[in-house]
Amino acid sequence: MAGAPCTVALDAMGGDRAPGEIVAGALDAAGTLGVRILLHGRVEELRPLLPDPVPELVTLVDTRDVIAMDDEPLAAVRKQKDSSIVVCARAVHDGAADAMVSAGNTGAVTAAAVLRMKRFRGVPSPAIAVPIPVPGHHPQVLVDAGAVVDASPERLMLYAQMGGAYARARYGLDAPTIGLLSNGEEAGKGDDLRRRAHELLRSVPGFVGNVEGSDFMHPGRADVIVTDGFTGNVALKSMEGALRSLAGMVFGVLDATPETRDAAKVITPRLLEAAEAYDPDLTGGAVLLGVDGVCVISHGNSSARAVVSAVQLAADCVDAGAVRRMQEAVANAR
Amino acid sequence: MPAETHVERTPLGPDDVFGLVRERLAAILEIDEDRITLDARFVEDLDADSLALIELVEELEEELGERTVGFHVDDEDLADLRTVREAVDYVVTRLGEGGGATS
Repeated sequence: MAGAPCTVALDAMGGDRAPGEIVAGALDAAGTLGVRILLHGRVEELRPLLPDPVPELVTLVDTRDVIAMDDEPLAAVRKQKDSSIVVCARAVHDGAADAMVSAGNTGAVTAAAVLRMKRFRGVPSPAIAVPIPVPGHHPQVLVDAGAVVDASPERLMLYAQMGGAYARARYGLDAPTIGLLSNGEEAGKGDDLRRRAHELLRSVPGFVGNVEGSDFMHPGRADVIVTDGFTGNVALKSMEGALRSLAGMVFGVLDATPETRDAAKVITPRLLEAAEAYDPDLTGGAVLLGVDGVCVISHGNSSARAVVSAVQLAADCVDAGAVRRMQEAVANAR
Repeated sequence: MPAETHVERTPLGPDDVFGLVRERLAAILEIDEDRITLDARFVEDLDADSLALIELVEELEEELGERTVGFHVDDEDLADLRTVREAVDYVVTRLGEGGGATS
């Protein structure tokens, strides 16, 4: 990074393992990435977790409210204006930070980003972009993974435009391919939303037509897969569940008999290495598309390692001008 | 001296509130003001989701809070506001009550 270090507003109170793992990740990120961290949370809870003196690149920002993982998002953001999530979003809007990262309540992070950072022109609602691991290949981008349950054909077209621009910025793709998630590859497949969206998406550069659920995690068919937030979230959770089941089956077999346990001594290190491609702690998390600033949502069970990945992702998005490129993509299509 | 912050102003009537709602909602949804009629339904006719309505509420609170100290919209009431007319009537009532602030 040239010039001043990137500044990331980090929500220290969000996530199942907050604040301990978040603070540990903040220290690691500041030390290894050279990113300036504005650590938001209750100082009396955070200070005991920090060395004395606090590293130069870490600044404590005292916020009094804490939005719980199960709080109703909109009400929480409205009522808890001095929460770490809301103040992080405000820091990006006010220019105190270049990006925000939170492992907290996803709905609240989304609402805070929309209300404080604001949506950018041409985007009526945000979308969550999640990287889907593809072994030996750059990840696919799933948009929307659950920011807004309902979508119109016009919104799906926006997701495609933003998703394409994001894939270009994030993965350096010159011409990302974009698919519409449906229940068959043929243009006429799907419900009314899918059929109408298909017609609109024909005008989006890189559109390759419908893709199916089986096209996830495989290279070649689509770099960006677009769908409504309801279906996207179901697809994401289905993949997570299937992978967990598969991992349980593999390790169950390896632990079944003395012979397989011997084999496991050889195979397990290689399996674990390969499994890193699927490790949510290493993907950096999800990015909120359509808001006027970089907002990274790390998964709720984030470890310190996940926080470092998320901060890295945020800094990469800032460096790549991801938001500007998405704004341009939407503006050029209007 | 700071500028006067509490100025006597003419009370807002339904037409004024409708004008304000229409202007702000059109800006949030990026649609023509003409589409925002009193009978328009937020979700079905204007494609306004809950986030857009909260944006509207916050802008109204900021604008009207300058006129009526403590003006706010209860989140619990939002679900009942399905049309522009219902929102305008709600705001006018609240303004008449002195902002809706609870003591």
